[in-house]
Amino acid sequence: MAEVLRREVVYLITAIVTVIMFIEFFFIGTWNVAEELRTWATIIANISLGLGAVRLLSEHAKNIQKRRAGVWPFSIWLWIIFLITILSGLAGYVTTHDAMKNPLYNWLFKWPYTSLGQTLYAITGFYIFSAAYRAFRARNIDAALLLIAGCFVILTNAPIGEVIWSGIPVIGRWFLDYGQVPAMRCFLIVAAFGMLAYGFRALLGRERGFYGEVVGE
Amino acid sequence: MSEEELTFWEKLARIDRRVFYWILFIGLMIPFIRPIVFPIAISPSTRDLYEGIKEMVEPGDVVVMNIAFGVSAWPECMPAFCACTKLLIKEGAKIIFWGAYYDVDMTYQEVLRRCEDYFKDLKYGEDYVYLGYYPYQEAAVAQLAASIRSIFKTDNYGTPLDEIPMMKNVDKATDIKLVLSGDTGDVCDYYIRQWRIPYGTPVAEIGIAMLGSSYMPFYKSGVLFGMSVGVRGGAELEKLIGEPGEATIRMGAINISHILVVIAVILANIGYFASRRK
Repeated sequence: MAEVLRREVVYLITAIVTVIMFIEFFFIGTWNVAEELRTWATIIANISLGLGAVRLLSEHAKNIQKRRAGVWPFSIWLWIIFLITILSGLAGYVTTHDAMKNPLYNWLFKWPYTSLGQTLYAITGFYIFSAAYRAFRARNIDAALLLIAGCFVILTNAPIGEVIWSGIPVIGRWFLDYGQVPAMRCFLIVAAFGMLAYGFRALLGRERGFYGEVVGE
Repeated sequence: MSEEELTFWEKLARIDRRVFYWILFIGLMIPFIRPIVFPIAISPSTRDLYEGIKEMVEPGDVVVMNIAFGVSAWPECMPAFCACTKLLIKEGAKIIFWGAYYDVDMTYQEVLRRCEDYFKDLKYGEDYVYLGYYPYQEAAVAQLAASIRSIFKTDNYGTPLDEIPMMKNVDKATDIKLVLSGDTGDVCDYYIRQWRIPYGTPVAEIGIAMLGSSYMPFYKSGVLFGMSVGVRGGAELEKLIGEPGEATIRMGAINISHILVVIAVILANIGYFASRRK
């Protein structure tokens, strides 16, 4: 029975939902049944956020309990920050209906979170700079073409390119319009066909990864 | 081969990465100490975004500003997002803010702060409204198109949507004049698939530079009516609305970093070819 629930019922639900969405999109426009299903999906997504948080805390609680080397102090830190953030946010929401109005919650987001987030994102610039130096070598004709196109596109995106030579943005845009856009179109169309094939395979129960099964099980 | 045995050309092709980090770090400080401003040409996608808003939006039209970027992308997305917000307010649009990122509250507050002069004469609930976060998935975006109230019963502060004056007759994609989606990921795809294609709602993208290549085919085919790409798009929009700001200043750093990358690539290849000939 458990095996049936694990496979056939899941296949059946997937098939029913797919057919309903298909009919709504291509034949009806807006259908109450489909709307109801999407609302459920949104509710389930919200629940999964909560489940994710519980799972995260439980994994880190295990780290603390087992004193896992090199990890458990960070797990304690995660628990502390998690509790401070969620309690201060809830306090703000309960008192004013706006979590951001709690000074501690606001401070946590405004100063540590924002600064750390932007710093992490900005650091990638340094890696890209170093990676461009090490990887952009004209080892063969293909790499040389990529390198030339890359340099033109880089300088097209910066106003200094136009100051150096007015032809740079013209050539850069040519590479973008006649090189990048068609290639991206091909990629998107092929990916869409791939998604269609994947969808049909999932619908027919042949895409085992879709159902959370381990391939080769 | 030890470091001493390397020729000049070989050394040129093997410069330590830390040297580049320092060069970039010092280089990026220059425009913030002494701004470097070059004229910025307006790209067609940004111009279409600007003109599309001006042509399509009439006073009283309801527009959705979708916040699908986190605080880490503020430097890239925020200038263009704010410029579009200012333009929409100038055109008399009523704006619904909502978002697909868990830190959307922060971004919304920051938009209000940066556009303070524009919002001070507007009334919350009549001219703009903030509905908050919706889970990051396509089903939610599809359902928002069919019925906003099935996802958001209230605004972010607990007021039922039916009690908010500007939301009285607004519930589905056909009630929305256009959608502007600020993105770091693929949320704009959802609006293309679930709003633009089935309902015909015009959609435009305000994305990080990396998304320029992903969404350019949609812009070129007319699916997106306009597109702002990265900081450059923000600087172009600031120029178009006549309010040079953060992105315009930041273009100095873009100039320095981009030219340094090109110089580094040229040096690497000179070293590579010279050491190969040897």
